Amino acid sequence: MELSTHEMDGGVTRVELDGRMDIAGAAVVDLKMNLIAGSAKKLLIDLQKVTFLGSMGLRSIVLPARAVHGKGGKVVLFAPTEMVESVLKTSGIDSILPVHHDLASAIAALQ
Amino acid sequence: MSTVVYPVAPMPAEETVKPVSRLTLGSRLEDLTLLWRWVEARSAEHAIPPDTEFAIQLCLEEAVSNIIRHGYGGHPGHALTVETIPAETGNLVFRIEDQAAPFNPLDEPDEPPALKSIDDLPPGGQGIRLLRKFAGTITYERLAGGNRLTIGFRLPR
Repeated sequence: MELSTHEMDGGVTRVELDGRMDIAGAAVVDLKMNLIAGSAKKLLIDLQKVTFLGSMGLRSIVLPARAVHGKGGKVVLFAPTEMVESVLKTSGIDSILPVHHDLASAIAALQ
Repeated sequence: MSTVVYPVAPMPAEETVKPVSRLTLGSRLEDLTLLWRWVEARSAEHAIPPDTEFAIQLCLEEAVSNIIRHGYGGHPGHALTVETIPAETGNLVFRIEDQAAPFNPLDEPDEPPALKSIDDLPPGGQGIRLLRKFAGTITYERLAGGNRLTIGFRLPR
């Protein structure tokens, strides 16, 4: 599991997750995600390269997102695969953290 | 993917059925890495398509981590087994057994979440809903000294 961040125009922080968000993957990204959530106000979580998402992985998205929301920030999820999106929908997370497949609309949703 | 949940069934004659492939895990979350490799091997063996493998991984992660965290209370030193058992053509069936206190995950509420804010979202606790959604069939049985969860998946033709 790998994680990289890019600061984009308009104060958007893009976090790219790459790999399997299973229990082991979640353990790898948790600390970094929390650090990012501590400073980001507009967080775009890029899920394009996430090949698996389990409930422990969901936790690694929900907790940082909660921290960003808690200080008045916004979080969007970008470009999950069909199966990953199905996990997001089943858990109801997509009703709180909107899922976008178009980068421009994802960024617009953060403004 | 449809979900069929059967009520607890009377003990079938399958007690004598030999597993096709069996994995024994310790009660530590780290042991789940062994589960991935085992599922990958089963996926290769049965030529399972990626989406079905995803569903299998999701359900087995859920079921096994539940046993480790709740059944065994996070205490190391216990064991559980995951095995494939003979099934009708076009189905792949996994059986998970532990020696933990009675715990039927299917008793957990399965209501769709009504979320108003992210604070309503339980950080964990999505597991049962995920299991029901991604498994083909789930059966729970209470054993004399443990629990058995049988999870089936339909393989696309």
